[in-house]
Amino acid sequence: MLRAAWSHWDRRRSIPNAFKKRQNAKAKSMGDQFTISKLSNGLDIAIERMEGVKSVGAGFLVKTGARDETSDLAGVSHFLEHMCFKGTPNRSAAQLNIDFDRIGGNPNAFTSHDRTFYHGLARSTDFSRLLEILGDMMHSTLPPDEFDMEKNVVLEEIAMSNDRIEHVAFDQIIESVFKGNSLSWPVLGYDRTVKAMSRDQMNDYFQTRYTPANMVLVVAGAVDPQEVIAEAEKMCGHWQAGEPRPDRTKPVMGKGIVQKTIDRFNQQVVAITFEGPGAIDPLHDTAEAAASILGGGNSRFYWNIEQTGLAPYAGAYRLDFGDCGLFILMAQCDPQNTERVIEALRKEAKEFATGPVSEEEIQRVKNKRRTGLAVEGESPHHRLVQVMDDVDYRGKPRTVEDRIAAVNAVDRDSLHDLFDAFPVDGEWLLVSVGPLASTAA
Amino acid sequence: MADAVQMQLDCGIGLAVLEMPHRRAVASEMRVLTGVVNEPADKLGLAHLVEQTVDKGTQDHTGRELQDEFDKIGTGVHSWCGKQASGFTSLCLPEYFARNIELQAELLRTPTFPKDSCDVAIELARQELMSLEDDAQGLADKHIGRQAMGPLLGRHTSGESETLANIYRDDFVSFWQSNYAAGKMQVSIVGPMSPSQVADIIEARFSGFGDKTQTNRDIVPVEFDAVAKHHDKQTEQEHMVIALQGVRKSGESYSAARILMGVLAGGMSARLFTEVREKLGLVYWVGGWQEHPRGAGLMYFGASTTPERCSKTYETMLAELARVGKDVTQEEVDRARTGIEVRFDIRGDVTRALCSELADDLMHFGRPVPREDKLKRLRDVTIDDVKRFWEGYVQDAPRSVVTLGPKALDS
Repeated sequence: MLRAAWSHWDRRRSIPNAFKKRQNAKAKSMGDQFTISKLSNGLDIAIERMEGVKSVGAGFLVKTGARDETSDLAGVSHFLEHMCFKGTPNRSAAQLNIDFDRIGGNPNAFTSHDRTFYHGLARSTDFSRLLEILGDMMHSTLPPDEFDMEKNVVLEEIAMSNDRIEHVAFDQIIESVFKGNSLSWPVLGYDRTVKAMSRDQMNDYFQTRYTPANMVLVVAGAVDPQEVIAEAEKMCGHWQAGEPRPDRTKPVMGKGIVQKTIDRFNQQVVAITFEGPGAIDPLHDTAEAAASILGGGNSRFYWNIEQTGLAPYAGAYRLDFGDCGLFILMAQCDPQNTERVIEALRKEAKEFATGPVSEEEIQRVKNKRRTGLAVEGESPHHRLVQVMDDVDYRGKPRTVEDRIAAVNAVDRDSLHDLFDAFPVDGEWLLVSVGPLASTAA
Repeated sequence: MADAVQMQLDCGIGLAVLEMPHRRAVASEMRVLTGVVNEPADKLGLAHLVEQTVDKGTQDHTGRELQDEFDKIGTGVHSWCGKQASGFTSLCLPEYFARNIELQAELLRTPTFPKDSCDVAIELARQELMSLEDDAQGLADKHIGRQAMGPLLGRHTSGESETLANIYRDDFVSFWQSNYAAGKMQVSIVGPMSPSQVADIIEARFSGFGDKTQTNRDIVPVEFDAVAKHHDKQTEQEHMVIALQGVRKSGESYSAARILMGVLAGGMSARLFTEVREKLGLVYWVGGWQEHPRGAGLMYFGASTTPERCSKTYETMLAELARVGKDVTQEEVDRARTGIEVRFDIRGDVTRALCSELADDLMHFGRPVPREDKLKRLRDVTIDDVKRFWEGYVQDAPRSVVTLGPKALDS
C-alpha cells in the first residue's frame, strides 16, 4: 500500500507556500537548538541545528527490532534492514548505491533488539538529496530476485559472527538471561530461521512496522529546521499513517550457570550478569558511572584484574533497553585463569556495592564523561545517534548540557540507591564460553 | 579553516598547531618516532610493551596516581604502537591543556618501569597473542603484513611468544633510553589554543628531554614477497587478503591511487562490493585499504566467506583488479573522488580527526599540508592518471596472498 502511494508521488513537485506556513506553525522550537515537529500522518521529526559544522547527519528511526519478531522469524528485522538497500520503486539496488555515492552520503544502518536505524552523513548542501534517498529506501520493493542473494549475505554475516568468541558469548548471555522472551534471540537471527524465511513473511512484517506511527526522522547538523520540515513534508507527508507496533513484554531475568564449550577457541570468555536499570530509569546515569568506576579505564577491574596479569580484558558494561537493563561483568582470559577471574570479578563487584566509594572516585568518572560529552557534542554523527536514542526512549532530545547535568547529579547517595534497587551481590547469571568443559563458580 | 603553523622547538620537538577558536576541546597527538622496526630481533614486542608501561609509574607518581591525575582533569592518554612510531593521543577541555601536557611530559620523560608492571605487561602480551589466535581476520592481517612488508616492517606489534620470553625489565629501560627523546618527537595540537601559547607550554615541559638531534626518520624498505600461503584454521569462514605494492603518501601518484582504491572499494557502488557481494551474494564483508609505512605504500583487498565460496570469491576479486583499469568510467572516478572529499569535509568537523591528520602530515611530509592543497591534488587527478596508476601498480603487479581457514584455494 505504501509502495503504491509512493510510486505516484512526484518528487519534483514543490510545496505551496501556504502549506509551508501550516507546517511551521506545527513545529515546536526547544530553544535555539532543537526543533520538534510531527507531520499530519504521524511521522515525528527531531532536528538539532548545529553551529560551526559543515556536515549533516540524517536518519530514519524505525521503532522495531529483534524483540518485536516472532520466534520463527528471528532475524527478520535485520534481514529487512539489508533488503531496504536492495531496491525501491524509483531505484534498483545498484542505482541506490550509486546515488548515495554521488553525494558521498556514507549510508549505513543498524538493527538492535529495540530498533532499526537508517542513516547517512553528507555535506549540508546535499541534505535534500540525502533525505530523498533515505526516504526512498523506507519503501523498498524487497525485490524478489534479490531476496535469496541477500539471504546468503546474511548467512555469511552469521558465520562471521560465529568466528568471534565475544559475539558468541554476547549472544549466549542474551539467550540465557532473557530465556522465554523475544529479547532472547540474536539480532542476526539463527541460521535455520533465516534460511526458512520467505519474502512474503518479510513483506508482512515490513508493511505493518515501517509506517509513520513507528518512525522518526532525525536530523543533526548545519541545517535550517524549517527547510528540513518542508523537505520532510514533500518526501514523507503522503506516507500512510499505519498503527503502532504491538506492546512489548518485559522479560524476567534468568539466573544460574551456562557453559558453552567450543574447542576451537583458545581463550575463555566469562560474563556475570545482573539486572540493571533500563534506558529511562532515573538511575541510568548512576549505573553508567558505576560501570565506569568498576570496569572502565583506570577502574577497579583495570588495576585489580588486568594489571595483576589475570586477564588482558576485564570490563563492566551496561546493556540498555526501553523497559529493562543489564549490568554485565565480563572478562576474556587464558582458560587456566577462569576460576580466579570469576572470583575476582565477583569480589570487586561485592566490595564496590557494600564498601566505601570515595568522592574522588565518583568525581573522576564524572570528569571523564563530561569531556567525552563535550567532544561528542561537536560531531553531527554523534549527535544524530544521541538525539535518536533520546527520542526513541525518552520522547524528546536532550542537549549536551542536559546530559552533563545528569552526569553531575551522580553521587554516593544515588550509588546507594542503585545497589539497593539492583544488588550486584544478589542473584546472577554466569555465562562461560570457550574451550573449558565446565566452569566452577 | 586556517592553515596549521609548524615550529621547530629548541628542545628538539617538531610541533604543528591548528588553532580552531570555536572548538570545545583540544586534541593532542604526540608521536615518538620509534616502533617495531627499532626492536632487537630477539625481543619482538618490546616497543609495544614500553609504550604500554611508560604510564605505570614515574619519578613522582605511581601508575595509579598518574591515572588519577589525568582523571581529575577529565582526560586520559590513549596510546598505540606502530611500525615506526608510538603515539600518545589525548583530548581535554582547553582550561586543562597545560596540566595535560605536564602529565604527558611526566610519563614520557620519567617512567620508572616498576618490575611488577613490566612482568604483568609481558604476561598480558602473551595472553593477547592467544587472543589474536581467536581473531581470524586479525591473524590473516598479521600474516599478510609479514609477507607484504618483509621481516622488518612486517613485524607484528604484539611480538611472538618466543621473543616475549626473552624480554626483561632492563630491556624496557634500555629501549626507552635509546628511543624516547625530544629529537625523536613530533607533536600535533588542534583546538582553541594559539600556536605561541602551545609552543611555550610544550617547550617548558620537554626542554632537556634527551637528545635534540632529529633521528629515526629513515625510510625502511619494504621487502615484498610475492607468494600465496594458506594457514589452516578451524573457523566457519575462510579469510583472504591480497596485497599489492602501492605508493607513498607523498608520492606523485598517491591521489590517483586513492581514487583507484575508491573505485574498487570506496563506497557502496564500488566494484568489489558490487560484484562480490551485491551481484553474487558471496560475502558479508569485502573491502580494500591502504597502509603507509614512511616512504612506502601497500594496497590490500580482503574478504571473508564460507569455504565453499572461497575460490569463487577470490576469482571474482582478481577479475575486478584485472579489468578495472580497462573499463573504469569517468562517472566512477567522480563518485570515488566525491566520497573522499566528503569524508575529508566530515573529518574537518571532528577535532581529534584533524589532529590525527596533522600528525600524519608531519610523519609523511615533514610538514603540515594545507587542506586546500590536498583537495587540489585530488581534484587534479584525471581518469588517465587512474589508468596509468593501474597499469603501473595493479595490472601485472606481483601479488602476495594469504588465506586462513579450513580450506585452501583451488589451485
